[in-house]
Amino acid sequence: MPAPCSSSPAIEIRDLCVNRGGAQVLKNLQLTVNPGEVYALLGGNGAGKSTTLAVLMGFLRPTSGTARVTGLDTASEAAAVRGRIGYLPETVALYETLSAYENIAYFLGLSGARPTRSEMDAALDAAGLQAEARTRRTAGFSKGMRQKVAIAMALLREAPVLLLDEPTTGLDPVAAADFNRLVSGLRERGTAILMVTHDLLGAADCADRIGLLAGGVIVEEARPRGEVDLLGLHRRLGEAATG
Amino acid sequence: MRLGQELRLFLRQRLAVPTLVLLALLSTVSVATGLWEVRRQTETIARIQPLQAEEEKAVSAWVSREGDAGNAAYYTFHATWDPPAALAFAALGQRDVAPYVLRVRALALESQIHEGEAYNAELALSGRFDWAFVATFLAPLILIVLLHDLVSGEREAGRLQALQAAGGSTGLWLRRAGLRLGLAFVALGAPFAAGAWISGAAAGVSLAALGATALYLAFWALVCLGVGALGRSSVANGALLAATWVALTLVLPALAHLLINSTIPVRQGVELTLAQREAVHAGWDKPKDATLNAFFAAHPEWRDTPPVLTGFHWKWYYAFQHLGDLSVADQVAAYRRGLEARDAWTARAGWFLPAVGLQTTLHRMAETDLAAQLAYQDRIRAFHERLRRFYYPYIFNETPFREGDFAKAPRWAEDG
Repeated sequence: MPAPCSSSPAIEIRDLCVNRGGAQVLKNLQLTVNPGEVYALLGGNGAGKSTTLAVLMGFLRPTSGTARVTGLDTASEAAAVRGRIGYLPETVALYETLSAYENIAYFLGLSGARPTRSEMDAALDAAGLQAEARTRRTAGFSKGMRQKVAIAMALLREAPVLLLDEPTTGLDPVAAADFNRLVSGLRERGTAILMVTHDLLGAADCADRIGLLAGGVIVEEARPRGEVDLLGLHRRLGEAATG
Repeated sequence: MRLGQELRLFLRQRLAVPTLVLLALLSTVSVATGLWEVRRQTETIARIQPLQAEEEKAVSAWVSREGDAGNAAYYTFHATWDPPAALAFAALGQRDVAPYVLRVRALALESQIHEGEAYNAELALSGRFDWAFVATFLAPLILIVLLHDLVSGEREAGRLQALQAAGGSTGLWLRRAGLRLGLAFVALGAPFAAGAWISGAAAGVSLAALGATALYLAFWALVCLGVGALGRSSVANGALLAATWVALTLVLPALAHLLINSTIPVRQGVELTLAQREAVHAGWDKPKDATLNAFFAAHPEWRDTPPVLTGFHWKWYYAFQHLGDLSVADQVAAYRRGLEARDAWTARAGWFLPAVGLQTTLHRMAETDLAAQLAYQDRIRAFHERLRRFYYPYIFNETPFREGDFAKAPRWAEDG
């Protein structure tokens, strides 16, 4: 297994093509995300966002081109790649019969990690899950609370790369703002974050770069911390989504 | 550690514990009813012996007045019995439908053996609720409940990608499947082990029965994993597995049974009874010389005994009784060959139909299969031979049979 190079991008996608069901979903996609950078990938349904995440996690083999995570090829070193990725699906599904602590112990145990209670508390503190909820079964957890548990797992795994799939969909504005602050905090720790989202304002709030994906290619890239025409981007996002 | 986490996760699932408890309960009830039935049969056998002594006493009081050995042989029933093996409680098999106690006389034997071979139609239809039934038919259903959504359930709950991303791979599913399989095996096997201990079964055969059952459950776990690997929904998996269960445990064994029975036709035992009785009754109308000469050809040692002069003589009577047996000897051999051939083909079918294989194996280990039934018949035939050889000197030498002679009569030993 090649050793990851700290100076190389955390995520590096080159000339990535993926065909699914006879259609070309990704067409020579180029994308890099560096350590300590938040990249928001925006696009309409069918733009190829989820396919990109599936390739990065090694669930889908590229038709051509390469995808690397911390220098590891996602197709040939999928298991090692997954060990370096923290993944938050759109809906974080935990085991509802287990508590937050037990869920963390279970999911981390799958990769052989055995965090102590104090380590879990530190991660849950960083994720912002209130202490009284941690021993409760997660059956009654809101989406935001479940996300915080998943973020704590990513922190405990010290994953250099975090993939977020529609993380703020369904969150109320306060919870979404909380989440964006949390993402910013992770960036400070040096985590490379690729966020797939429909939420342009949320992306503008916390992302370093925003890529507009349409028809399997990034048609536009913007840096929200600089000059960016959000309304124009929003309009073009809508146009891309409707083809 | 990982297994402990899996166990905690599994046991907190809504249906996990009730499903395992149900299996343990079914297993316990089947073992309890099996032990009860074996105890009932053992007590029946135990009751036979004092009653036999009482009856002999009554017969001897009457017979010894005249000292007629023909009367003694005719009126004295001799009890035989086939005690249940230690594992019979788990797989009652042929003991439900074939006699395990048979009282025989020194008359023609084959009708005595086969007239008791009328099947208990009620039990033959429904089958006995014994441990073998629970292991063969119900345990796979429990496994299907536990394993049909092993992967699909996680996919439907939205956790599959997260599990895979967290490092869950083939080992995770094998660990989960192994845990469910192991717990189901314990729920099924623990009552059996208790039953085996209570009945004093040898550890070797008990472990062999558990081993065969474990292999059978492992087969069903593999079927569940195979169906799950098709990537369908939990409902589709459940439906496909239920259909597989119906095919492998009900339809295909029934078709195999029909095929074997139609390929190897075997006359009913009662037909042997009728054929032999007709031969015996025809003896009344045949010339005595013809009957006795045929008998002496088989038993030349009695040819030079005093001739039959009167109208009725026990010599003549017992001669045509024995000739009745000889007249159906070929049919009896063919009947037995047919049964053994069917049994052999059923055992072969067991290699392809696991449900048949497990039942056949458990019945063999419990000594409740056809081979055990035929072995009991063989022991009865050997005992009947001893009875005839005991009575013939009195009858053919016309020696008076006295009260003390009853004590010299052969006694049934369980080994024949």
